[in-house]
Amino acid sequence: MYRYDEFDERFVRERVAQFRGQVERRLDGSLTEDEFKPLRLKNGLYLQLHAYMLRIAVPYGTLNSRQLRQLAHIAETYDKGYGHFTTRQNLQFNWPKLKDVPDILDLLADVEMHCIQTSGNCIRNVTSDQFAGVARDEVEDPRPTAELLRQWSSLHPEFVWLPRKFKIAVTGAEHDRAAIKVHDIGLKLKTDDTGEVGYEVIVGGGLGRTPMIGKVIREFLPKDELLAYLEAVMRVYNSEGRRDNKYKARVKILVHETGEDEFRARVEEEYSKLDGPTINAPEEEVERIAAYFASPAYETLPEVSEALDDARARDGALDRFVEQNGFTHKQPGYIALTIALKEIGAVPGDMSADQMRAFADIAERYSFDEFRVTHSQNLVLPHVKKDDVPAVFAALKAVGLASANAGLITDIIACPGLDYCALATAKSIPIAQDIAKTFADEARQKAIGPLPIKISGCINACGHHHVGAIGILGLEKGGRENYQITVGGDASEHAALGERLGPGIDAEDVPAAIEAIVATYLGEKRGEETFIETVRRTGPEPFKAGFTAFIEARAAASEAAE
Amino acid sequence: MAKDHRAGSKVRGDKLPAILMANLLLEGDTVFLTDSGWTLDPSAAKIAHDAETAAAMEAEGKAAAAANVVVDPYLVPVDLTEGGHAIARHFRDAMRQKGPSIHPDMGKQAEFPPLD
Repeated sequence: MYRYDEFDERFVRERVAQFRGQVERRLDGSLTEDEFKPLRLKNGLYLQLHAYMLRIAVPYGTLNSRQLRQLAHIAETYDKGYGHFTTRQNLQFNWPKLKDVPDILDLLADVEMHCIQTSGNCIRNVTSDQFAGVARDEVEDPRPTAELLRQWSSLHPEFVWLPRKFKIAVTGAEHDRAAIKVHDIGLKLKTDDTGEVGYEVIVGGGLGRTPMIGKVIREFLPKDELLAYLEAVMRVYNSEGRRDNKYKARVKILVHETGEDEFRARVEEEYSKLDGPTINAPEEEVERIAAYFASPAYETLPEVSEALDDARARDGALDRFVEQNGFTHKQPGYIALTIALKEIGAVPGDMSADQMRAFADIAERYSFDEFRVTHSQNLVLPHVKKDDVPAVFAALKAVGLASANAGLITDIIACPGLDYCALATAKSIPIAQDIAKTFADEARQKAIGPLPIKISGCINACGHHHVGAIGILGLEKGGRENYQITVGGDASEHAALGERLGPGIDAEDVPAAIEAIVATYLGEKRGEETFIETVRRTGPEPFKAGFTAFIEARAAASEAAE
Repeated sequence: MAKDHRAGSKVRGDKLPAILMANLLLEGDTVFLTDSGWTLDPSAAKIAHDAETAAAMEAEGKAAAAANVVVDPYLVPVDLTEGGHAIARHFRDAMRQKGPSIHPDMGKQAEFPPLD
């Protein structure tokens, strides 16, 4: 893992001291709310429906046990005993008090954490593949790139007041688990014909009220040119992105309105004017960063673990857990495990302080003191010895973290929605809970197979509904909460936006509507097709027909009841 | 930065009766205006039955915001229960009167008697 050097340490401590001063000036009236708000947002502090909310950065989703124990301590001391992992691999506390926030930031700084780049119109915390450094289909670990971008973008003097927020994701793998095509910039590490490593650069993707799939602006960028090239992209955006209308201010709108070819030409023109060598990171600095992400000291082990195979044969629950939540590791004898924060009926992404402490112990003992946060609001133990899996499973089970549903229909992404969020137009979490309860039966979940459902409680799309195989968007209609349903969204390398099935429906009808959509899938499915593969083949039409039939039957039933 | 207006009730039509809601600057908690300052207790909120009272309450809210006591004060149209309590007409405002629906053990609903 990356460790702070003296510059990182000083930078973070200075920001805490600055914010402490800003809070004091706010409280004594020297700063008005309008003046203070952009300052608190620069430190991840929002004001929500019931309380303040503090968003803590988890750069590229990597944490260690000491950090998680500190988060547990903060949750118990300053919040209500839990935290919430988000779709940007961050962690939110829902109940901090303004007067306590400077102290919380100091506690975070003690464990090399902060809230910088979690809000405001800056380059946000860079996200990455949760299986970085572990996956077999990886060209190169994306985290050194993400860390380099963190250092380059933190307080970059030119890019601290962008037209709008700016999100970058990096993957090093063939299979995209970081949703790079729906980010402002998506980077994919790849090799060219000569075996040289570089990046495919994708710009202008995004979700929100105007969802767009990103465009490939550079097929292959040599690795050592990264910062100068991104600086060119940022300069074009910073000078030409719209500042007159916040709904048209993201780079996706600029790329769309300018046109892909013209945008590419402007970036290349800007790039040709830059003095690359003065911007790009020196090779020794890139190597220094990369060294922090060297593989841990794996043991040399056989690929197959007889101990695990025997235990799986004896224990059906363990067997299901490994089958569903296990991920093939590049190192023989090891496995990566997804910890789904999705127990049936739980709040997606929530973790209690007790669970944090227990999980910190597990990560420390069994996973080289490291774990990851996923954009699906789950956690990953990246380096578990297969021989240790039965013990890990038992320890997880003891604290309610052994849910064997990673990637299944009950592994739902949901934004906080109207239960917490000041921007929400409808509840999101209770919809996820109801769907999970409807499909709680394990055998049924397995029969349905991989089916990512994603729920947002407003058009801003924090729940990524546009790229859910089934997407649910909560809106307000006629003074009531109303839910629109889409199918066919995909956040992977086959990125696609979902298509709406029909009119919006009431909250209580959502689980039955999902049942109808699943029934259509099972009827249309050929061979071993997953849900998204079936939708890709058939298009949305059969699903629209099934949904329309559901709406009509529902209307007939409610008429009969009256 | 574009200006967000997170505050303000989304109720259309008749705006009375109404209560005045805000967040405490220091703590962040949702609070309600009374005849003597602000309360955390939704059942103790002062209710405006006429436009004049509502306007006076709104002015008091703005003054409290200017004095750095509260943030984002706004009038919330309500219906009255048989017990005389004010229930927000819009589900968003009602969520603020109670606390998160997914955590009955948190927020107003955990700390104060129900509004009935």
